[in-house]
Amino acid sequence: MAYQLPGWAALAPTLTFVAAALVLFLIDSIDPDSENRALLAGTATVGSLVAAGFAAWFLIAGTGEEPFTLYADSLVVDSMSLFFAFVFASVTAMVVVASYDYMRDHSYQGEYYALVMLAATGMTLMPAANSLAVVFISLELASLPSYALVAILKKNRGSVEAGLKYFLIGALSSSILAYGISLVYGVSGTLLLPEIASAVEIEGLTGVLGIGVLMILGGFAFKTASVPFHFWAPEAYEGAPAPISAFLSSASKAAGFAVAFRVFTVAFPVEAYVATIDWVLAVQILAVVTMTLGNFAAATQDTVKRMLAYSSVGHAGYALIALASLTGTGSDQFVLGGGMAHLLVYGFMNTGAFLFVALAEYWSVGRTFEDYNGLAKQAPFACAAMTLFMFNLAGLPVGAGFMSKYFLFAGAVGAGFWWLTAVGAINSALSLYYYSRVVKAMWIEEPTQEFAIESKPVGLYAAIAAAAVVTVLLLPGFGPVWAFAQDAAAALV
Amino acid sequence: MAALPFELAPAIAALPFVSFLIALLVGAFAPRLLPKGGAIPGILATAGSLVLSVWAAVAVWNHPDGMYHDSITWVAGVGDAAFDLQFGILLDPLSTMMLVIVSLVAVLVHVFSLGYMNDEGETGLPRYYAGLGLFTASMLSFVFASNLLMAFMFFELVGLCSWLLIGFWFREPGPPSAAKKAFLVTRFGDYFFLVGVVGVFATFGTTAFVGSESFPILADQVLAGEGASVTTFLGLDPQAWFSVLGLLILGGVIGKSAQFPLHTWLPDAMEGPTPVSALIHAATMVAAGVYLVARIYGFYALLPQVMALIALVGGFTALFAATMGVVKREIKQVLAYSTISQYGYMMLGLGAGGYVAATFHLMTHAFFKALLFLGAGSVIIAMHHNENMWDMGGLKEKMPVTYYAFLSGSLALAGIVPFSGFWSKDEVLYEALVHGLESPILLAAYAMGLLAVFFTGFYTFRMVFLTFHGKPRTDTARDPHAVGWNVKVPLVVLGTLAAVAGLVNMVPVAEVTGIHLEFLHDWLDAGPEALTAHHYADLIPYASGEIGSPLLTVLLSAGVSLGLALSGAGAAWLLYDVPEPIRHTDRLGRVKTVLFNNYYQDEFQVWLANGVTLPLARVADKFDQGVIDGVVNGVSSVSLFSGGRIKRIQTGVVSNYAFLLTMGLVVLLVFIGVTGGWF
Repeated sequence: MAYQLPGWAALAPTLTFVAAALVLFLIDSIDPDSENRALLAGTATVGSLVAAGFAAWFLIAGTGEEPFTLYADSLVVDSMSLFFAFVFASVTAMVVVASYDYMRDHSYQGEYYALVMLAATGMTLMPAANSLAVVFISLELASLPSYALVAILKKNRGSVEAGLKYFLIGALSSSILAYGISLVYGVSGTLLLPEIASAVEIEGLTGVLGIGVLMILGGFAFKTASVPFHFWAPEAYEGAPAPISAFLSSASKAAGFAVAFRVFTVAFPVEAYVATIDWVLAVQILAVVTMTLGNFAAATQDTVKRMLAYSSVGHAGYALIALASLTGTGSDQFVLGGGMAHLLVYGFMNTGAFLFVALAEYWSVGRTFEDYNGLAKQAPFACAAMTLFMFNLAGLPVGAGFMSKYFLFAGAVGAGFWWLTAVGAINSALSLYYYSRVVKAMWIEEPTQEFAIESKPVGLYAAIAAAAVVTVLLLPGFGPVWAFAQDAAAALV
Repeated sequence: MAALPFELAPAIAALPFVSFLIALLVGAFAPRLLPKGGAIPGILATAGSLVLSVWAAVAVWNHPDGMYHDSITWVAGVGDAAFDLQFGILLDPLSTMMLVIVSLVAVLVHVFSLGYMNDEGETGLPRYYAGLGLFTASMLSFVFASNLLMAFMFFELVGLCSWLLIGFWFREPGPPSAAKKAFLVTRFGDYFFLVGVVGVFATFGTTAFVGSESFPILADQVLAGEGASVTTFLGLDPQAWFSVLGLLILGGVIGKSAQFPLHTWLPDAMEGPTPVSALIHAATMVAAGVYLVARIYGFYALLPQVMALIALVGGFTALFAATMGVVKREIKQVLAYSTISQYGYMMLGLGAGGYVAATFHLMTHAFFKALLFLGAGSVIIAMHHNENMWDMGGLKEKMPVTYYAFLSGSLALAGIVPFSGFWSKDEVLYEALVHGLESPILLAAYAMGLLAVFFTGFYTFRMVFLTFHGKPRTDTARDPHAVGWNVKVPLVVLGTLAAVAGLVNMVPVAEVTGIHLEFLHDWLDAGPEALTAHHYADLIPYASGEIGSPLLTVLLSAGVSLGLALSGAGAAWLLYDVPEPIRHTDRLGRVKTVLFNNYYQDEFQVWLANGVTLPLARVADKFDQGVIDGVVNGVSSVSLFSGGRIKRIQTGVVSNYAFLLTMGLVVLLVFIGVTGGWF
C-alpha cells in the first residue's frame, strides 16, 4: 500500500459506531420528535454495515496478523478483535434493519438507534481490550445502553420491569467484576493483561489472586448469561423489544465470550495457573451447569420467546466448552477457534430466530407455542426461515450450525474432555425436542385462530432473509470462517 | 495442459448425463419436442461418448506414461490426521478399454430400444431414456473413477438406475417386486463395500488407485516392510487387516456381479425391458463388480487368502448357475443364469491370478452376452412378448439375421473355437490350471469351472434349438412379428464382434506357432508400472506348474475345455434338434424340481429374513421399546420434571436472584479454593 494508515485507523469499526451514534444524536437534537424512521434506521444501518465492512476488509487484508497495540498497550487490534468486530457489526446491522418495522409506533426513535450504536461501540472495544481498566469500561459501555434499551418500551410494564431487574443484577455483577479487578491489581501491580500473567509466581498471595480471578470470571458470566449469573436473561429477553433480545442474546453474549477468551488466555494462561488457581475447572463446572440448566428450563417453557431465552443460556454453556477445554497445549487453538466460529454462526441463527419472534409480535400472533399453530400456511417463507434457525440451533446439518458445533465438540474431544462433549451432545438432543415444537406448531398443527396478517414488513423480512441465507451459505462456506477463526484463536494462544 | 482427448474425458460421462437431463426435463415439460421419446439425444450422446472413449484409448496408447490422471478436491481435510476427498479421472489401458465397451454397448442398446420400445408403442419413454442416460453416465464415471470413494458413489448410482429400469413397468406386479429385490440384495453387499471404503480411508488415509501414495502401493510397501506406516484396527497385523478390508470390498463385488450367495436378484431382474437386461444386467453394471477387483488388483494380489476365496466363489458360481440354466423354460432366464455363470468365470480368473484372462473374458462376454440378450429381445418382439421357449421353434427361416447373430453369440458363449468366448474362457481355465497344479484350492475351483463348460454348452444349444430349430409349436411362432433395421443393425455389429473379438489374444495359437498374437496382453501392459499386467504377475501369490511341457499344458487345457463344450452342445443337439422336442429334463425327476427352484436359494433367503432376522428384530424391538425407550422416556420425564423445578427458581424477585447469584459464586470460590489449596 502506498499510503500507510495511521495506527488509530485500526479501530475503524469502533470509530464508525461512535460516529454513527454522534450523527444520530445530531439528528435527534435538531428534530427531537423525529418520526423519520427511514433516516434514523438508515443511518444506523449504514454505520453498522460500514463497520462490518472495515472489519472484513482488515481481516482479509491481514491487518491483524501482527497484533499492534495502541494507547500505551491498553488496546490491541489483532485477528481476534477484528473477527468479533465483524460478528457484532453484522448482528447490529440485522437488528437495526429489523427495528425499522418493529419500532414503527414507538417514541424515542432517535435515542433507540443511538443507544444501539453505543452498545455496539462497547462491544467492539471489548475484544480489543488489553488492560483490565479497558475491559471494565468497555463492558460497562456495552451494558449501560442495554439496560435502557430493554426498558425502552416505557408504557409496557414487562419491558420496564425487565430493564430494572437487568440493571440491578448488572450492577451487582459489575461490582463483583470491579472487586475482582482490584484484587488482581493488588497482587500483580499492573492492569495490562500480558503483565498480569506472571503474578501467579508471587508467593503467599495465591488466595487473593484466585478470588480475584474467579470474581472476574463471575463478571464475564453475567455478560454471557451463564449460570448462576443468568437470572436476568430470561426476563430481560422476554420483556425487551424482540430485536433487542436478539441483540443482547447474540452480540452482547459473544462480546462477553470475546473478552473472556482474551483475558483468560492472556492474563491467566492455563499452564501457569492450573496448579494453584484452577479456573478451567470452574469454567467446566459453569459449562456443565449452564448447558444443563438452560436446556432443561427451555424444555418446559410455554412461550416461544422465553424458550429462546433459555436456549440462549444453554448455548452459552456450549460456548463455555471452548474455554473449559483449554489445556495449555497444542489443542487450544483448535477448540478456541471452534468456540469463535460457533459464536459467529450463532450470531446469525439466533438473531434470525429472535427476529422471527419480532415478526410474530409485529403481527400480534401471540406468545405461546399454540399461538404459532398453522402459521406456515400464512407466511411460508418466514416459517421456512424459522425452521432453518431452529434446526441449526439444534445442530442438525441443514446449515452452518451443525459444522460449528461439530468442530467445537471435536476440539473438546481432541483436548481430552470427551465428557464435556458428551454432556453437550445429550443437551443438544434434548434441545431438538423443544426446537422442533416450534416447527411442529408452525407446519403440522391446525390453526387455532385467525391470523390478522395485513402486511409483510420489508425490514424484518430482509433481516430474517439475510440471517437465513448466511446461515445456509456458511455450511459450504465454512472453510474460510474456520480459517479466520483459527487465525483469531492463534492470536491468543 | 494435457492432450485434447484427455481434456475432453469428463465429457465422456457428461454427454449421457446431458441426454438424461434432456429426456427428463423436456419429457416433463414439453414432451412433443422430444424426438422419439428421448432416444435421439441418447443415441447422439452415447455415440459421442464412444468416439471420445476410442480417442482417449488411442491417446493412452500413444502417451509415454500410458495413462492420464487428474483430480479435484471436493472436501478438504481439516486438522492433523485429515485426508481430502477427491473426484478424479484415471485413464489407463484398463479403464479406456472398459469405456469403449460400455459406450459401444450403450449406443447399440439405445438403437435397439427404438425397435423394442418405440415401435412397440410403450408409454413413459422419456422416463426410460432418462434412466438409460443416467445409467450410462454413472457407469462411465464409475469406470474412470480415480479413487475408491468416487467409485463407490457411482457404484450406488448405477444400482439406483438398475432399480429404476427393472421397475420400468411399475403397474404390473412383477417388475416393482424384482426391482426391490435387486436393490435390497445388492445394497446388502454394498453395505460391506461402504464399510470397506471407510476402512481404507482410516487405514491408508487415501483411496486413490494410482500414484506413489495410492493404497495398493502403500499396502505393498507395508507388507514388504519398506517404511510406509498405516493404522490397523482390531489388533490385527497388516496382512490380516488388509484381508479384512479386501473381503469388505468384495462384499460389494459379490452383490453387484451376482456371485453366490448374492446372485438371486439377477434372474428376477429379467422383469425389466430386454434392452435394459442387455445393457445393465449382462454387459456393464454386473461387470462393475469384476471391474472393481481388476481395478484394485494390485491390492488383492497381496492377499493370498482373499484371492483363493475369489477363485472358489467364482468357480462354484460358474458351475452352480450353469446347472440351473439347464432346466429353464424362458429364454431370458437361461441367459440370466448363464450371465451369473460367466461372471463366475471372471472371478475364477481373477482369483487364480489371471488378470489379463479375466479382463479378456470381461470384454468378450460384454459383446456376446449383449448380443444374446438383444437377440432374445428380437425373438421376444417376434413372439409378441411371449418368452417361453416351448412356445417357439422354427424361427430360423423366419428371422435369419437374428438367427445367425444369435448363433454367433451362442458359439461364443459355449466356448467353441474360433468364437471369442473360446479364447477368453480357455485362458481363464488355463490360468486356473497352471496355478492350480501348485495349489489344491485353485485346482478345486478349476475343476468346477471345467465341469461348468459342459453345462454351458448344453444349455446354450438347448436354447438355440428350442427357439430356432424344429417345427413351430404355436401360431405366433408360425407367423412372427417382423423386426426392423433398428433391431438388426445392433445384432449384426455385435454378432461380428462376438465372432472375432477373441482374435485379439489367441494365447494357445501364440504358444503353438510362436507368432506374437497376445495384443490384449500388450495393451494391458502399456499403462503405468504399478497398474500393468506384468506387475500383477509379479505380485500374485502363486507358483506355476505344468503338465509335461508348457506347450502340452496349453494344448491339454484348450483341448479338454473344447471337448467338454462340444460334448455339451452335442448332447443338446441329440436331444433337442428334432422336429418335435420333448421335455427331457423331466426325466431328472426331483433333481429337476430342485434345479428349477434354483436350489431353493430364494426360499432360503426368505426364510433367513422371516425365520431368523424377523424374530431377532422383534427381540431387538422389545429391547428397544422396553429398555432403551424406557431410559429415554425416563430421561425426558426427569428432565421435564427438573425443568419444571428450575422454572421455579426463577421466582421473578430480584433479591432472590441476587442471593442465588452471590451464593453460587461463593460456593464456586470455596470449591476452587479448597481444591487449589488457597487456605
